[in-house]
Amino acid sequence: MTRLTIDGVEVEVAPGTTVLQAARAAGRDIPTLCFDERLAPFGACRVCLVGVQDAPGPIASCTTACREGMVVDTQAPAARRVAGAVVELVLSELAAPPAEHTELAAVARQFGVGEPRWPGAVHPEREDLRHPYLAFQHGLCISCGRCVRACDEIQGAFALTATGRGFTANVAAGIDAGFRESACVSCGACADTCPTDAIAEVSLLALAESATI
Amino acid sequence: MMSANLVELTRRRGAASTPTAVELLASAVAERGALTDEDIRAVAARTGLPEAAVHGVATFYDDLRAPRGARHVRVCTGTACFAATAGTHVEALAEGLGVAPGERTADGGLSLAETVCLGFCHSSPAIRDGETIDAGPGVLQRVLAGAATSAPEPPARSILPVPVLTEPGDWSGFRRAVTLRSSGDLLAEVREADLRGRGGAGFPAGRKWEFAATVPAERRYVVANGDEGDPGSYIDKHLMERSPALLLEGMALAGYAIGASEGFVLVRSEYPASRPALEAAAREARAAGLLGTDILGSGFDFDVTVVESAGSYVVGEETALLACLEGLRGTVSARPPFPAEHGLFGMPTVVNNVETLCSVPYIAQHGAGAYRALSPGESAGSKLVCFNERFARPGVVEVPFGIRVRELCDEVAGGLADGGGLKAVQIGGPLGGILPAGLLDTPFDFAPLAAEGCMVGHGSIIGFDEATDMRELARHLLRFGADESCGKCFPCRIGLERAHAMVAADAPVDRERLEALLETLELGSLCAHGGGMPAPIRSLIAHFPQELGLA
Repeated sequence: MTRLTIDGVEVEVAPGTTVLQAARAAGRDIPTLCFDERLAPFGACRVCLVGVQDAPGPIASCTTACREGMVVDTQAPAARRVAGAVVELVLSELAAPPAEHTELAAVARQFGVGEPRWPGAVHPEREDLRHPYLAFQHGLCISCGRCVRACDEIQGAFALTATGRGFTANVAAGIDAGFRESACVSCGACADTCPTDAIAEVSLLALAESATI
Repeated sequence: MMSANLVELTRRRGAASTPTAVELLASAVAERGALTDEDIRAVAARTGLPEAAVHGVATFYDDLRAPRGARHVRVCTGTACFAATAGTHVEALAEGLGVAPGERTADGGLSLAETVCLGFCHSSPAIRDGETIDAGPGVLQRVLAGAATSAPEPPARSILPVPVLTEPGDWSGFRRAVTLRSSGDLLAEVREADLRGRGGAGFPAGRKWEFAATVPAERRYVVANGDEGDPGSYIDKHLMERSPALLLEGMALAGYAIGASEGFVLVRSEYPASRPALEAAAREARAAGLLGTDILGSGFDFDVTVVESAGSYVVGEETALLACLEGLRGTVSARPPFPAEHGLFGMPTVVNNVETLCSVPYIAQHGAGAYRALSPGESAGSKLVCFNERFARPGVVEVPFGIRVRELCDEVAGGLADGGGLKAVQIGGPLGGILPAGLLDTPFDFAPLAAEGCMVGHGSIIGFDEATDMRELARHLLRFGADESCGKCFPCRIGLERAHAMVAADAPVDRERLEALLETLELGSLCAHGGGMPAPIRSLIAHFPQELGLA
């Protein structure tokens, strides 16, 4: 077993346990965006940053394994400041604030993110609404990769891919001709894990819309 | 974006997967000018990758994204070309050709693409017209007249009493090691030599080798990182094209030391001469019994495959490089696991920069003591540096560590060609800080440069003359940073776009907001690209605040 301290509390975890898993098991809340416990840790969003004593800077708790004697501070000021700035950046890339019920909106509330300090280009709107169950709104995509990984790691359909690079990065089904022309088996794992409704089940989308009205 | 099963899929195919999906797509673009869905499907069928994954690859690399005309012109937008023209050569070329960068004429006859960088920084600006790379004075007129000629390669020399890296290899270090020494003995020698990685991070090569050698595994690999994407650097280009045997010898030595029988060199497509030079050297080595099976009767087997990338700076990061070798999108993965433990096709892999590997034959031949003695400075061995066209004597030069930057600029490179004063230099690539003229007495070594927010990095030295607009330089660097972000981690993907927008805007730059953004990049990014791009901007804030237009 590995012993470490998280926010002043000593914990004992099985070898290989990540800092995120250990902290959550100890009842500490660490916000995340690209993490889904069903999927291999990815380390892309950097929202799960925490402070570790004697480390040169904050570390991503989702991809860092616990080490004996580690002293973790989930509220370390630098880690919180940078993670909050990242959430601010994410909100700034969307044309409109995320819907209240989404995971992204919840994380933004947790950090108390207000007006973005760095406004700028947003993702263009582009929709694929031809699939009977799955709606794809590319403009809402924050490239967390959860849908791509869910399609691969939960369903094994390999119907989705990340596309582009840098700020233009996005996600496509098949050769970007939409779900209908891809290897999609309509399992819904992508919509289930999406933190922004970029991919959503058509019926739930309608429900959310009627609730808003 | 690599998900767990996709990586597993490529792993199972292992080394049988060359040519890679990236190479197959690049050939299709070269033949037909643009990719069709049929091309994607054909490459998916041939490589066993999902169609969506191949589409993801096709949208990642520069060479696969821009349409290509019958005549394809690539204009270098690297930092040496910026230092030479402030970017005016790009506009002039686009206007003269009548086609914008990234576009192809309606009749498909002509296309223009920006590229970073062609590695002709000794003779900027550089333009590649079809297969011909032209550079230096008159290049625009020649290309516009359809009369491009091949630019001369840079000169190379050593200021050491005995040249180590500027002489072509003769395999003597390898012959000696493989016939007279145990692999453990060679590994210990490399450790003792204090050879630090020359790709930027400076990690001790011997320690990396030791990790890879001791992890239990059925196979191990040696990978030479020839993706010298740092604008302004043409050191690895020189080594791969002028001394390819030296690199192969270094790789074979690494293979012998760690127990690997296969090696890969990943070369950049921006260096069209690198792959043929390495392949010719490998054929010669095979014919001489220096690569292949039971080399020199030692029982040691080793051979090398050369793989070409397709245009991406971040592929120079080791986890992205391995993804590219596996034919996937060149995005970065979180470490650990480090490649030395879990690398190419999931096996322990030593990924070393080209120059690092080229230093090993000398160590094998003359020993760790002789290698360490090459430099009077703190760090061991010698280092190749290269100078841009602004200097009187640009070229590749082998120097000792510890020499002052001023001596490098004024004496070794002869000062600026126009006799004017240097305003600043950027050392080691786009992630290196900028050293103003007032700090040129800093010694050229890892620790003293780091103390000034700079680095040895790759060893390129780009001199900026007094006419350089530092706000424009910031804009140039951040545009490069944003364009080349792999798009995986959020701080880099969005933050570099925003930082570029801040300095590109026709307005004063809010210092507090810029610095908060730089901190987010530095502390939040997944790899050295997002983490390092703030370094030169920090230097400009510190040394040229007024020119930067800070408010």
